[in-house]
Amino acid sequence: MKPQMITLHINGRTHYVALNPNQTLLVALRDLGYTDVKCGCEKGDCGACAVFLNGVAVNSCLVLAGQADEGEILTAAGLGTSEHPHPLQTAFSDAGAIQCGYCTPGMIVSAKALLDHKPHPTDTEIRDAISGNLCRCTGYAQIIQAVQSAAEKMDAGGEG
Amino acid sequence: MKYQVKPLPQVDLPELRTVGKPLRKVDAMGKAVGDTVYAGDYSMPRMLYGKVFRSNQSSARITRLDVSKARALTGVACVITGFDVPNARLVSDMPGQTGQKQRAGSDVPVLASEQVRFYGEPIALVAAETPEIADKALSLIEVDYEPLPGVYDPLEAMKPGAPIVTPPDNIVARWKIRKGDVESGFEQADLIVENTFRIPYQEHAYLEPEAGVAWIDERGAITIRVSTQVVEHFRTIARAVGVRQNKIHIQGTMVGGGFGGKEDITIEIYLALLAKHTARPVKMVYTREESFLAHAKRHPYIIKHRTGVKNNGLITASKIEMISDSGAYPYLSPYVLLYTTVMAPGPYRINNVQVDAISVATNNPYTSAFRGFGGPQACFAYEQQMDDIARQLGLDPLEVRKVNYLRTGDLTATGQVIESAAWLEETATRAMAALGEQTPDYGSVKIGQGFASYFQSYGRITWMHDTSQAWVGLELDGTVTIRAGVPDLGAGQANSLCQIAAEVLGVPLERVTIYTTDSALTPLSGTSTATRQLYMSGNAALMAATAVRNVLLNRASKYFEEDIEALDLADGKAFIKSDPSQTLDLVDLAKMCASEGMHLSNLALFKAPFTDPINPETGQGQVFPDFTFGSFAVEVAVDTETGEVTVLKAAACHDVGRAINRAAAEGQIIGGGMQGLGYGLMENLIVKDGVIKTPSLTEYLIPTSMDFPDIQAIILESGTGLGPFGAKGIGEPSLTPAAPAAASAIANALGVSIPEIPITPEKILAALERA
Amino acid sequence: MQSEIELHHPKNLAEALNLLAHYGPDGKLLAGGTNMVVELRDGHYNGKSLVDLSRLKELRGISKQDGYIVIGGGTTITELIDHPLIGAHAGVLKEAACLFANPLVRNRATVAGNLVDASPAADTAPPLLALNAEVQLMSQAATRWVKLEDFITGVRRTVLQPGELMVALRWPVPSARSAGAYTKVGLRKADAISVLSAAVMMTLDNTGVCVQTSIALGAVSPKPYRAHEAEALLIGKVLNTALITEAARLAAESTRPIDDIRGTAAYRKRVVAITVRRLLTKAAEVLK
Repeated sequence: MKPQMITLHINGRTHYVALNPNQTLLVALRDLGYTDVKCGCEKGDCGACAVFLNGVAVNSCLVLAGQADEGEILTAAGLGTSEHPHPLQTAFSDAGAIQCGYCTPGMIVSAKALLDHKPHPTDTEIRDAISGNLCRCTGYAQIIQAVQSAAEKMDAGGEG
Repeated sequence: MKYQVKPLPQVDLPELRTVGKPLRKVDAMGKAVGDTVYAGDYSMPRMLYGKVFRSNQSSARITRLDVSKARALTGVACVITGFDVPNARLVSDMPGQTGQKQRAGSDVPVLASEQVRFYGEPIALVAAETPEIADKALSLIEVDYEPLPGVYDPLEAMKPGAPIVTPPDNIVARWKIRKGDVESGFEQADLIVENTFRIPYQEHAYLEPEAGVAWIDERGAITIRVSTQVVEHFRTIARAVGVRQNKIHIQGTMVGGGFGGKEDITIEIYLALLAKHTARPVKMVYTREESFLAHAKRHPYIIKHRTGVKNNGLITASKIEMISDSGAYPYLSPYVLLYTTVMAPGPYRINNVQVDAISVATNNPYTSAFRGFGGPQACFAYEQQMDDIARQLGLDPLEVRKVNYLRTGDLTATGQVIESAAWLEETATRAMAALGEQTPDYGSVKIGQGFASYFQSYGRITWMHDTSQAWVGLELDGTVTIRAGVPDLGAGQANSLCQIAAEVLGVPLERVTIYTTDSALTPLSGTSTATRQLYMSGNAALMAATAVRNVLLNRASKYFEEDIEALDLADGKAFIKSDPSQTLDLVDLAKMCASEGMHLSNLALFKAPFTDPINPETGQGQVFPDFTFGSFAVEVAVDTETGEVTVLKAAACHDVGRAINRAAAEGQIIGGGMQGLGYGLMENLIVKDGVIKTPSLTEYLIPTSMDFPDIQAIILESGTGLGPFGAKGIGEPSLTPAAPAAASAIANALGVSIPEIPITPEKILAALERA
Repeated sequence: MQSEIELHHPKNLAEALNLLAHYGPDGKLLAGGTNMVVELRDGHYNGKSLVDLSRLKELRGISKQDGYIVIGGGTTITELIDHPLIGAHAGVLKEAACLFANPLVRNRATVAGNLVDASPAADTAPPLLALNAEVQLMSQAATRWVKLEDFITGVRRTVLQPGELMVALRWPVPSARSAGAYTKVGLRKADAISVLSAAVMMTLDNTGVCVQTSIALGAVSPKPYRAHEAEALLIGKVLNTALITEAARLAAESTRPIDDIRGTAAYRKRVVAITVRRLLTKAAEVLK
């Protein structure tokens, strides 16, 4: 198997990497240090590895890194920092939406994907939007509240 | 509304400044922005990758094991088999810091070399330069097996002539309760109700599969950075690896979900062996499929109830038989069985009780701790039994329970006095009221409401002499540092300590920083299991913070020339209660104390009540420090043509004693409730001849955001718990009543009960046909 | 263990067909990857040359042409949900798309990928069968249209030849007097593999006579298929409860289900009868 050179633009940084063709985007991202992208199943069942690829939220475990060549990738860590968090990150922290936190980055990616298209979602739309992101801790209620609260704040502040 | 809500007794809980508030947990933002470095996120220079070679047989003798080709593969640093580490055995027993006696025959070989007893049993370890080479090495390991007869049903395993999993016999544990005289109790009864209930496996399915990195540090200590609920396992690992206890250093990480599944030793022992043999850092991360194979499951049980009742519902006798499947190795089965035994009769005052419980070895996946620790299985059985008693007597389910509910001052079946509040009717009526009016039936869809009440211990078994330590110190800039060995599973274990210290020392929560989960650098706080951390470490933190507070107030009393009782600490200041405008900044106060050589930190040790073991013949004696009480109510819609169930409403009401962080307490109640609903209605671990047929999250389904409605969390605070500020525990109790409540609602909808979970569409159609 | 593979990224359709022609049976198509990447991880494709179609614009797009709705094979499930033409002319497909796996998977999974994978439980198959869809298979040598009914031949088997790929699908725009309905029975409410699924389409004339109907079933036979006997019973008749119940019974009778971890054959057969009855009733109600 011959490694292929690919270019990945991740959270505003550009990486040139040689990867085996069977390498998934998930493994590539984690090997590059983007460990906020979590590995929970490698089958698209859990959503912990969700990232934006060219603006679309995807399971990075189901994308070969080569398919993302030249792509723009945004992970949850690319949305904000603890000093300057994204409204979703603030809302998740404040609403009790984070317990073990392992699903959180992927959950935030799916939530942002929803709010990008629907700034005022209903609870049902939020539930559907995160239905590919399993959470074993919270029972989802506080996550849904967090997304609603972030939507309100983003609307008021014109952020996001 | 179906029931009159029972008024609460008058409780005077003072409003506190930090405790009780739904503040942002100290661990939340790091997780939200991806700063938290979980076990699998960590790397070391020159790191190798470890993998485990596992049995693909459920019961077999290993006749040949040849790892020479794997060892010869370029890039393989080492291959270890059981022949290389003959003394590597794990005590599959209650772990921990208290040094209780090892039970005979309960140790497990880390690597099987002669016989495999379950599918997936580890046989060899590999460390290689890359994960791919390690995988390749696994494929080069050659094993010949001679199949041995296996036993896959606990009832079969108890029969004479059954294959013996581990000599001398398949009985892993027995517990008995003998209270009063059940035969005379049955004679007094107007009705005797008998049922058999079957309760299944459950897979923890935490989102983070097991992971860790180990290396040998500059002092020669094997350091293991791992996702675990128990840093005290360093002792067991030291024994298994053959080094001194102070040469194993466990750095626990934030745990990506535990629920009991990271209570037993997982990969840390493999990491320790590989690091020791290679003298290089080694990383190991399980795939989801390996996680399913490698860790324990919740115990399946068969539980028989025979209950004598008077016509008004009063229970005169309760005779219960329970069998649990321990799988191939005991692990915590004896203790789980004890929990199920103690809780078997439910939160009911019964004078004549007989319980006989057995845990049985099979060649199935091994079973051990899972949130609730035997309590949920007991609860499913006793609450379905109560419903059936009500049905047979033609009484309302609440009426039957009310006659029997435990009250403060009553004795449990093991003769332990209930000393805290036992708000059972209070929680049941509130949970049911929260459902509101029942939705009417439509078409082939039948609606039902039901509830379940429970009691569940918090804190470890009292004869284990549990202790916890916490260190609290005030820095010179007025910030507070806590050091405590608590593993944080995300339930707020660390955060609660911070809110407690913030309350006691009068600082905002943002000024408190906690260092946790290090077996060498933080005081040992014991396991994050058994719903014990708030109770145990919370009290330790309270004691330590109070000691520091006393130092501060002593000095402040000189400064203000006032009695200590006249002073208080809040918002980073000391002040006179009667004249809050007179203040002394904590920074100045800390400096005064420091310059005068006063001790601004304290290491406290909290001890649970220590008791002697229960009488093995009668089961009489204290087993737990205390219990949490509550109820769960569910409304379901059942499609009687397809058997599909939709939960329309769910509500949980628990007396948490005192909520330290209200949002976190709600999170436990809702999250645990959903795990329980999943257990009752959806989760289905299918095991055939010892092999898991639902080996990943594709086949083993856990609830998504679409499956259940928001669980309404109703928090009651009696203030009567043994934890700090009167807190009880809620981590495990939250799960216990959910599955039986769902089953009650379904039975209420259909008029026929289903004595077995998960209640799948097919079971519903079968039950309707029987009816 | 992961498969050892070669991965090619053709820039356009011609290049893709060229690669497929070159590699013949050793060439495998990689579209959204939602099945394929998992199978690669499990080591199912050693030595294969994978041709990545995920960035070929020629395979995308949804349009209305000459009385047909035409969609590119690389159309994602999300694009189906979002596109007004699908909502307007293939509600039954939109319903299925909304229940397809989960949003993250829907953003990658393609219609052609779902059909070429040819699982008995393929979620897009029953609605597309009900819509009388055809698929366009293209190789360097030729292009052909094949009825979807004939495309899937068995469990994970299709008529797709080495060198061919599914570039497009089309179905006739349903008449304004038609209605459709879809049901998926799964073991949870989202992100579940079907225990069974069913889609119906129905057209009534202005006297209420059923002039066209299709009943398509998934996960109850080796392949998704049309229950023609049940359909035939309804054609030319004014529908009533008895007739619908009988058609549903015939549909159930036509199934050849298996026992698996999701359900028993008996359950599937039984619930097909209920599901088809409900779907036909619902479609007839809409058209009243």
